Amino acid sequence: MLFVIVTGLATGALFAATALVYNVMFSTSKVLSVTTGHIPMLGGVFGAYAISGLGLPWWLGLVAAIAVGAAFGWLTDVVAIRRVLARSDEHLWLLSTLAVATMVQQAVGLWWGTEPKPFPRLIPQDFTAGAADQKFWLPVALAVVMAAGLHAFYSRTMYGKLFVAMSEDAFAARARGVSTDRIRVASYVLAGALGGLTGFAAGQLTFAYFALGLTLTLNGFIALAVGGLGSNVGALIGGFALGLLNAFASYFFGGEYQQTIAVGLLMVVLLIRPEGLLGSRNVRPV
Amino acid sequence: MDARGIAVRAGFALAAATLPFWAGDQYQLHLATLIAAYWVLIAGLNLVIGYSGQLSIGHVGLLSIGAYAFAILAGKAGVHPALAVAGAGVLCGVAGLVLGLPSLRLPGFYFAMATMAVSLIVGEFVLAQGDLTGGGVGLPVPSFPAPFDSPVGFYYLVAAAALVVTLLTWNVARRMYGRGLIAIRDSVVTAQAVGVPVFRAKLASFVFSGVAAGVGGALFASLQSYITPDTFHFELSMFFFVCIIIGGRGSILGPFLGTVVLTALPELVSPLAKLGNFFYGLMLLLVVLVVPEGIGRLFEVIRERFRPRKVESVPVRPDLPRLARAIREGGA
Repeated sequence: MLFVIVTGLATGALFAATALVYNVMFSTSKVLSVTTGHIPMLGGVFGAYAISGLGLPWWLGLVAAIAVGAAFGWLTDVVAIRRVLARSDEHLWLLSTLAVATMVQQAVGLWWGTEPKPFPRLIPQDFTAGAADQKFWLPVALAVVMAAGLHAFYSRTMYGKLFVAMSEDAFAARARGVSTDRIRVASYVLAGALGGLTGFAAGQLTFAYFALGLTLTLNGFIALAVGGLGSNVGALIGGFALGLLNAFASYFFGGEYQQTIAVGLLMVVLLIRPEGLLGSRNVRPV
Repeated sequence: MDARGIAVRAGFALAAATLPFWAGDQYQLHLATLIAAYWVLIAGLNLVIGYSGQLSIGHVGLLSIGAYAFAILAGKAGVHPALAVAGAGVLCGVAGLVLGLPSLRLPGFYFAMATMAVSLIVGEFVLAQGDLTGGGVGLPVPSFPAPFDSPVGFYYLVAAAALVVTLLTWNVARRMYGRGLIAIRDSVVTAQAVGVPVFRAKLASFVFSGVAAGVGGALFASLQSYITPDTFHFELSMFFFVCIIIGGRGSILGPFLGTVVLTALPELVSPLAKLGNFFYGLMLLLVVLVVPEGIGRLFEVIRERFRPRKVESVPVRPDLPRLARAIREGGA
């Protein structure tokens, strides 16, 4: 039973971290990017490649994962967001980010192979550690630290306050002299770096697997929608709830119905509280 | 419809009707049948994506339900294939209704995610219910009885189904109902204001697309003659989606051309087959960034851009005598 709870917390932390990445991008651009789940995938794959493939020390692998994630975030903005937002058709960003997501997944699949490959141990530890294994507590610690760090960033720093200003009213922020385009690019790079970090920390849980992206995009989104769009605490709650629910469902009913249960949770929450647990009611639907 | 439009359609109809006689080999005929089976689904989906603007990226789930329903009904239960096709269509229509009732109320991205989740759920379910669907091993699918048991006969059957679905969607698209769907796509508020029953129209078109997906799935399964969960991977959904977006939203000919080109191109140009989805993604990205109207309207867009601008000068000639008269008569 302890093992079920720990597994649920760890996968929940992964979903929560993905939901936080969603939030960072959503705050400045009001775009829910389909590429969100693919950033941790890239972090995991490139982390494993740097450490196992190139034989670099773990901290260089971490740097590689973060750098690749940040570069991909920047690329997403340049390719899929910038021109589309300028044209302001509300459906187009969904299509363009979906296109980028498909392309990056296929490219990684061709280069890395379609089999999940093991992610190297980061901290020397025996495989007999059971529930105290690093693959469980690393993602959990990361998700909590990430949420706390984002909170500090939003409330303590000038840049963070600019993010908040843009998320509340982009036009007003622009009128006050905020370079909204530059802030948006910064948010995408930040989201990419955080996503790469997530993929690196959760790598031992998920393996370095090219098709991880779509599942994470979906589950991270469910965590976000359950917790409330735009709320970081909500993302944590939603992610952990979803992860625990998944773990207990597969413990009691077998692992075949995970997706069904996740979507069931989403539907129930959307029916009862359409704005999510901690979302604000006046969030405009996208 | 102008004369050129009729000529184009007549040309297509003639080419499709005579295809078994000029197709080079069996494989090309198979490809043409595959295009027709895809088109049965895509024509229905076109009403959802192209006309009412609901971005369903999970239609492969419905295709899968249709295919498995046909395989189980016609293969295991021994129902006549024609009835099994009808059964698959009805079942998928019901599935579309069940899926559409909650998810069509959701805004864009939520809807897309819900449909994507459904395609994953169906995949899970197929794997979980192994004794019904054969699990990961798959299921053999019976072929149709004579005269549709030969490749040529089956081609005509699928082409006829494609024609029927096309006519149905065309009838919807060109009349009031289709205009209503376009209004929903372009502005929900405006559509509501002019009295379009928004939710009912969306739901009806979605259920119709479900029925089309069921029939298409049944024909597709019979064409493949053996189905496994891997046949219905998520990328297939992406393919349907790209066909419609590339062809251009709000047209029937455009998505049809998109289906033909995107199905045939990777088969004829082998390097593209290896790239597969990368190629679809790239096409989608290019279309979204460069011609959001779709390739089908590419020529219109280019012509519009390079047409020499006529500067119209309309000199204003005041009607002086009338003005003078008006002043004389005291402004009355």
